[in-house]
Amino acid sequence: MKIVKPGKNETFDIELEEDLLKQNRVLAEKNRIRFDQYHVHAIDVLGSIGSGKTTIIGQVVKELKGRYRIAAIAGDLTTTIDAARIQDKGAIVIQANTGKECHLDANLVLKALNELNLEDLDLVLIENVGNLICPGEFPLGAHQRMVVVSTTEGPYMIVKHPYILLESSVLVINKIDLAQAMEVDIHQLREDALNIKPDLKVVFANGRRGEGIQDLIEALNLSGE
Amino acid sequence: MHEASIAQSIVQTVLQEADKQSAFYIESVEIEIGELTFLGIEQIEFWIKTGFQGTIAEKAEIVIKQVKGIIHCKACDYQGELNIQKDPAYHISIPTFSCPQCQRSKIEITQGREALIRRIKILKK
Repeated sequence: MKIVKPGKNETFDIELEEDLLKQNRVLAEKNRIRFDQYHVHAIDVLGSIGSGKTTIIGQVVKELKGRYRIAAIAGDLTTTIDAARIQDKGAIVIQANTGKECHLDANLVLKALNELNLEDLDLVLIENVGNLICPGEFPLGAHQRMVVVSTTEGPYMIVKHPYILLESSVLVINKIDLAQAMEVDIHQLREDALNIKPDLKVVFANGRRGEGIQDLIEALNLSGE
Repeated sequence: MHEASIAQSIVQTVLQEADKQSAFYIESVEIEIGELTFLGIEQIEFWIKTGFQGTIAEKAEIVIKQVKGIIHCKACDYQGELNIQKDPAYHISIPTFSCPQCQRSKIEITQGREALIRRIKILKK
């Protein structure tokens, strides 16, 4: 029998087929199973820096705290400012500091879940790091994803970031009271979004004054219980 | 922005595998990036090259292929690409996340979200 072996200094092909994003997706799936096990509904909240994510979450908590037992996971680079603001409104808050990373990932959320008593909860709101690009890549295992954009970010936020809407079911157009000053047409923003994702639910809001929060709760299907 | 961290994982994985295989030189690295990821190919390449500096992969050829985005419609069973509007005013392509056939949004992505190291070519000790 002839045996053929590669000699010294010969090139070897090594098939790796290693998907680096898959690891996160597998962990996200685990998080989802865990939420379902305890009948907890989870929402991932995305938006740029300063779009009003924390204010919106705070208003939702304030509105729903009588009906649901709520916890929030607040993603931030290093501070606990946002966590304190949400806690003030009546939710249990776990701070997830990412250090230098620009997004939350499923592993950090898993760690945060270990700090929560899921059997005592109905709703978990996950505030992602302020960024409209990177978090899109890392599903966390939440049931729903909601995006907050504000008029102060200018008229092109949606067309410039179509991919963020990919797995989102609700879009909040925030700071509508400032639209005129910013010369931003909120209906155009809505139309841009619906061009990209026709079944998206779009809500106009003024987070600071609590306007549009009822519509948002309905869009998130949380008005039922 | 997260190209750096993905590239870092690619660099680590490649160097670990090469070490496991007792390589003394990495000739090429083949990577596939999905069209529906948020990863810029040029940035990925830049960060991989940076990560390979001073290692046995320093001179490796880096081949990055873009993988087409393919969806499956759960409503009408369409399998294929998304509709993409090319808007010259924005210099970008805007995909529509609904089924090109039945216009419903019950779609799942079956291809185009990968950040995959397909294979590496090495020289063994």
